[in-house]
Amino acid sequence: MMNEIIQIVGKETVRVVIGLIGVLILVVVNALMLTWLERKISGHIQRRIGPKEVGPFGLIQPIADGLKLLGKEILTPSNVDKPLYFLAPVLIFIPVLVSFIVIPFDVCLQVKDINVGILVILAFSSLSVLSILLAGWGSNNKYSLIGALRSVAQNIAYEIPLLLSILPVIFMTNSLSLKDIVEVQREGWFIWKWQFFAFLIYFIAGVAETNRTPFDLPEAESELVAGFHTEYSGMRFALFFLAEYTNIMIISAVATVFFLGGYLGPFLPGFVWFFIKTYLLVAVIMWFRWTFPRVRFDQLLNFSWKILIPAAFINLIVTGGLLKL
Amino acid sequence: MVKTVFDDIKNTLKGVEISETSYDERGYHLAIESQKANIINIVEFFDGKGFYLEDLCCVDYKDYLELVYFFNNHKELCRVKVALKVESDKPAAPTISRIYTIANWYEREIHEFFGVYFENHTNLTYLFLHDEIDCYPLRKDRVPVTEDDRRLLNSFKPEEYEDGFFINLGPQHPSTHGVLRVVVKMDGEYIVSAEPVLGYLHRMHEKMAENRSYLQFLPNPPRMDYLGALNYNLGHVTTVEKLCSITVPERAQYIRTITAELNRISSHLLWVGAFVADLGGLTPFLYTFQDREHILDILEGIAGSRLTYCYFRFGGLYNDVDDAFIDATKQFIKHLRGRFGMYEKLVTKNVIFINRVKGIGILEQDKVPKYGCSGPVIRSTGIPFDIRKTEPYAAYDRIGFEIPTGTIGDNLDRYMIRIREMEISLNIIEEAIEKLPSGPFKAEKVPKKLKPPKGDIYHTVESPRGELGVYIVSDETDTPYRMRWRVPSYSNLMTFPYLAKGELISDAIATLGSYDLVIPEIDR
Repeated sequence: MMNEIIQIVGKETVRVVIGLIGVLILVVVNALMLTWLERKISGHIQRRIGPKEVGPFGLIQPIADGLKLLGKEILTPSNVDKPLYFLAPVLIFIPVLVSFIVIPFDVCLQVKDINVGILVILAFSSLSVLSILLAGWGSNNKYSLIGALRSVAQNIAYEIPLLLSILPVIFMTNSLSLKDIVEVQREGWFIWKWQFFAFLIYFIAGVAETNRTPFDLPEAESELVAGFHTEYSGMRFALFFLAEYTNIMIISAVATVFFLGGYLGPFLPGFVWFFIKTYLLVAVIMWFRWTFPRVRFDQLLNFSWKILIPAAFINLIVTGGLLKL
Repeated sequence: MVKTVFDDIKNTLKGVEISETSYDERGYHLAIESQKANIINIVEFFDGKGFYLEDLCCVDYKDYLELVYFFNNHKELCRVKVALKVESDKPAAPTISRIYTIANWYEREIHEFFGVYFENHTNLTYLFLHDEIDCYPLRKDRVPVTEDDRRLLNSFKPEEYEDGFFINLGPQHPSTHGVLRVVVKMDGEYIVSAEPVLGYLHRMHEKMAENRSYLQFLPNPPRMDYLGALNYNLGHVTTVEKLCSITVPERAQYIRTITAELNRISSHLLWVGAFVADLGGLTPFLYTFQDREHILDILEGIAGSRLTYCYFRFGGLYNDVDDAFIDATKQFIKHLRGRFGMYEKLVTKNVIFINRVKGIGILEQDKVPKYGCSGPVIRSTGIPFDIRKTEPYAAYDRIGFEIPTGTIGDNLDRYMIRIREMEISLNIIEEAIEKLPSGPFKAEKVPKKLKPPKGDIYHTVESPRGELGVYIVSDETDTPYRMRWRVPSYSNLMTFPYLAKGELISDAIATLGSYDLVIPEIDR
C-alpha cells in the first residue's frame, strides 16, 4: 500500500507531506510550550512561581488554557467588517507555517531545501502585517485601527535592517539556501567571524518585527487596551497569540541558522543543538519583555531609520569590501 | 506677610470688609466679607499677588448661601477666607474660572450640589452627579432642580469633529487606574484636547458627614483615598481636635508621624510600580508590591486593617505601639534602603525609561497658582511647598527634614521627587523612633459625643498626593453642619488638559500616570 502511494506520487512528495504534518504539529506544540515558558520565565523574574498545579511543573497548563479558549463563545461585535474580521486570524497563521518548511532542524531534518530559502521566510513573514491591518480595520474599533497602523509602520521600518543584517552572511556563503549557510559555518559560527554587529542588528530588528517589548507598540496595553486584537476573543484571539509565539520562534531559528551555526555542535545530535540555541534566544526575547519599559512610537521609528539602517549599511559595505580584497 | 496683605487690601480695595482672625482657632489669617459687585476685583487682586485658589466651596445657611473662597500663598503661609453671600432663592454669582482655571470644576461642583448659577461659565454640566437627579443634594431643604438646569443638561451634545476622531480613555481603560474617563480629541496619534469626565465613583461623603456624629464619620475618610488612608484619617482627626481644642499627648503625636510616613512610603511604592507599568515595564510593579507588603504587615499589627486604616482617634490613637512594631519598622527601614539600589538599576538608569519621561508633560512654575496643584506635582516645578513644613501638624515641627524639588516640572522630576521622598520619609521615621517619648497615647477626658463650639475651621495636612484640606462648619451639635474636603488629586488632574494638549497619546498616558491619581478621592 505505502509503496504504491510512493510510486504514484513520488518519494519527494511523500516526504514533503509528512514534513508538513510534522511542521504543523511542531508549530502548535511549540506555541503551547512557549506560552508555558513565558509564564514560567515571567514568574521567576517577578519572584512568583508561575503555573505549577496542572501536570508536572504546570506543563499541561497551556493545553488547559487552549481547551478553555476553544470552549469560549465566539463573539462577533456588531458593525465589524465581517469578511475581513473572520479572515484576519486565519491569514496570520498561514505565513508562519510556510516559513518552517525551509528551516533545517538537522542535517537531514528539513522539509525542503529550496535554493532561495531565506527569501521564502522574509517574503512570507512580511505577509503577517497584512492580516494585522485586516484585523485592525475590520474590527471597527479605534484602538484596533491605531494599533494596526502602528504595526504597519513598524514592520516596514524594521524589515529593512533585518534584511540588511543578513545580507553580509549571504555574501560570505554565496548561497540563499539555509542548509548551505549552516554547512559553511563548520569552520566557525558567523557570530564570531566578523558578523557580531550584524547579529545584534538582526536580533533587535527581529524583536521589533515580532512586536515584542520594548517594541510592542501595536498592542501597547496601557495605551491601546490590546491593540489590533482588542475585539477578538476565544479561538480567534488564540490564533493571533499562537502566531505571535511562532513568529518569535522563526526569528530565533533564523538567527540560529545565520549566526549561531544552526544544528552544528559537539556530542549531542544536531536537532538538539538547534533547539537549544533557538530556545535560548527565545528566552532572551522573553527576558526583554519582563525587564524593559516600552519605547515611544517616534523613538521606535527614529531608532530604525537613524541608527539600525545606517549601521547595517556600514556593516554590509565593510563586509563586501573585505571579501573583495 | 499677613500684615502686608492686610494693608494692601485696605489700600487698594476700598470698601471691602476685612478682619484679622486667630489662625490657631480658625486655620486662616484674614476673613473678607465680599459682595457680588466686588468679588471679581478681590479675586483679581489675589491673582496679581501670586496667591493660589486653595478651595472654593459653598455652605447653605438656609436664609442665604455662602460661597467660601480660600486663598493661600506658596511662598509664605497666608490663608485668606473670602465669603460671598448669595440669596437662597435663585442663587447666582459671577464666575472666576477665567482667572483661576481650577475654579471651573469647583463651580460646576457647587452648581450641581447647591444649584448656584455661575454667570458666564462656559460649561455648567454636572461633574459628579447623575443627569437625572431631581434635587440639589447638599442644600439643607429639599430644593427641586430648576427648569433652567434641566435644559442645560439636556442641551449638551457631543461635539462633531471631522478632521480626526474622539477616543474615550476609560472608564474601563487599563491605564486610568480605576474609573477615570478622559474624552480625548485626537489628530492621528496627537492629542488635540483632553477632557476628564468624573463621577464614576461618587459616594457623597460630604453629605454622609452631615448625617452622623464626628466619631461615626471616622471610617469614611480612609475610604476616599485608600492609598493614603492614614493621612486622611489624620486630616480629619486633627481638624476636629483643633476645632474642639483637644490637646494630644506627645507620644501620640510621634506615633502619628511614624505611621503616616509609613503610609506615605507604601503609597509612593505602589505609584512607582504603577507608573512604570504604564510605560510598559511590568516587573517593577511586583517588586514594589513585595516591599509594600512589609508596611501593610506592620500597620496591620497596630491598626488591625491592611488598607483602609482607621487608627487615629480624637485625642490620640486607637491603641499604643509595642516593641514588635518598633523592631519591625527598624528592620523595614534597613530593608528598603537596600532596595533603592535595585530600583535605580532597574528603572531610574534605564535608557528607555529616561527617554520616555524626560521633558514630557512640563508644568511651568508660573502656571501653578492657576491650577492650585500640590504635592509632588508642585514640588517638581521647583516650588518647595509642603504642608508638613508650612503648617506643621503631628510631630513634624520637631523633626528635621528637607523638601526635594525638581527643576523643570516634567515626568522625570515627578518620578525622582517621589523616590527621594521615600528616602526622606525613612529618615523621618528613624528620627521619630529615636525621639519617641513615653507617656499616655491618648488624651484623657475626650467626650464620646463631641459638640464643638460654633464656628468654622480650615485645616490642611500633606497627603502622599498633596494638600488635603478639611473645612468644617459647626453649629454646636454633635454632627458637622457642613464638612468639605479639598482633595489634592482633583486640582492636580485639572492640569491634565493643559499638559496633554499636543502630546502623543503615549506621552499623555505617562503624564496621567505621573499624577498618582486616586479616583475615589477625586469623586469622593
